[in-house]
Amino acid sequence: MTLAHVHPGPATGPGTGQLLTIVAALLVAVAYLLAAGRLRRRGDAWPRWRDVSFTAGGVGTAWASGGIVPGGPFTGHMIQHLVVGMAAPLPFVVARPLTLALRALRPGRARRRLLVLARSRPVGWLVLPPLAALLDVGGLWLLYRTDLFATMRHQPLLHGVVHAHMLAAGLAFTFAMCQLDPVRRRWSVAVRGATLLAAGAAHAVLAKTLYASPPPGTDFTPADLHSGAQWMYYGGDVVDAALAVVLGVGWYTAGGRARAPRTRRGAAPTGSKQRLTSAAGALGDRRQGASTVTSAICSTRWRRPPGASGGPPFAASSACSPCTRRPRRR
Amino acid sequence: MSDSVRSDTAPGAGSASRRSMAVCAVIGAAVMASVDEIVFHQILGWHHFYDRSTSGVGLLSDGLLHTAELLALVAGFFLYADLRRRRALASAHAWSGFFLGLGAFQLFDGIVDHKLLRLHQIRYGVDVTPYDWAWNIAGLVLLLIGVILALRAARRGGAGPAS
Repeated sequence: MTLAHVHPGPATGPGTGQLLTIVAALLVAVAYLLAAGRLRRRGDAWPRWRDVSFTAGGVGTAWASGGIVPGGPFTGHMIQHLVVGMAAPLPFVVARPLTLALRALRPGRARRRLLVLARSRPVGWLVLPPLAALLDVGGLWLLYRTDLFATMRHQPLLHGVVHAHMLAAGLAFTFAMCQLDPVRRRWSVAVRGATLLAAGAAHAVLAKTLYASPPPGTDFTPADLHSGAQWMYYGGDVVDAALAVVLGVGWYTAGGRARAPRTRRGAAPTGSKQRLTSAAGALGDRRQGASTVTSAICSTRWRRPPGASGGPPFAASSACSPCTRRPRRR
Repeated sequence: MSDSVRSDTAPGAGSASRRSMAVCAVIGAAVMASVDEIVFHQILGWHHFYDRSTSGVGLLSDGLLHTAELLALVAGFFLYADLRRRRALASAHAWSGFFLGLGAFQLFDGIVDHKLLRLHQIRYGVDVTPYDWAWNIAGLVLLLIGVILALRAARRGGAGPAS
């Protein structure tokens, strides 16, 4: 309500860092919509729900960064950071922004660089599940169990840095968990599930300790503290469950893909071939056994003869990322 | 996990029924945990979110267990869907597994969480003994139902995949 008076960054509305976040979030959403529009204009399929999802992520981030959230100061802070660090990254990530960027960019230096970056070792480390979890939840423990929180409330710059870290670490963690975009290497469901369990547990324990004792150097009222801690606990649950659903859908469709060639071959070879080709043309359905239709996908997906203007995408790297790698999930 | 999906499209009756039972036990435990969370924590408000008498280890185990329940519920759903897709669901074994899961979690919660770790009590401000007895006997009954169903399923000759 009158959060602006008590929220970190004393007696001000959103600070510069937060304003930057708002503008960036909205700009990124617009860029996504433009890129998806470009794909559709040239005849590629790109599901509409991904546009909606990404836009929701952008709007959510912008809203929470604005600092206009209900509740007491601690509850308000908690809801804000729940949205920025946990809830908003999920719709961003399931919209597969990296895949979209790789497909929307024209062949050339920018796309090559983006691909090199996505495949680079540092990014590989950043989205290594346990490390991403440590950066994310470890950061939370530092924030709430050291003097950082109290210090941050009086230093707008530090507050901006913490805010940005939460968003970035949340994005990296969600990205590592969902594993929808092409990166250096993939991790099994077991590794990601175990990481999710550990991260979720660390988050839940932190929430319960906050219920009992406030961050050092702060004096929130017990009622405020309790509601903030419960927001953290149950909000974390909701996001954990959503992440688990994304993992589960990936596992389930991978299983379906592994079974599919056998049943298809057994059933009706001609009909299925037709289906494969049409699907490759529509590009909507990634459930097809990718290896068998790689060339079909590549030639139709990019709708450009290999000789013309830079040839097939990702020619720079030896692999045509979205299709020649292991079949990807839905 | 995906390996097992790939390898056995036509699994033996034994492995299918064992798997059905295990998957449904996971679902059962997670369902009981959700019932506990929803009914006793949220609706009745009997359990306390955190009653401050908990040790650090208790808190850690509570966090782990709570997250594990949540993930088990989701994972169990997908594993179940996979069994159905492969027509490998042995329903008699599945039901026994479900009740075994319900009962096992109820007993575990009543004995380990409430009594050994003392995370929270069933109800505050009253003599908790009858509540504890009711809680644990209910768990035992559910577990026994599971055992009886398992015995019956086994007696029907392993009752292969029949969904």
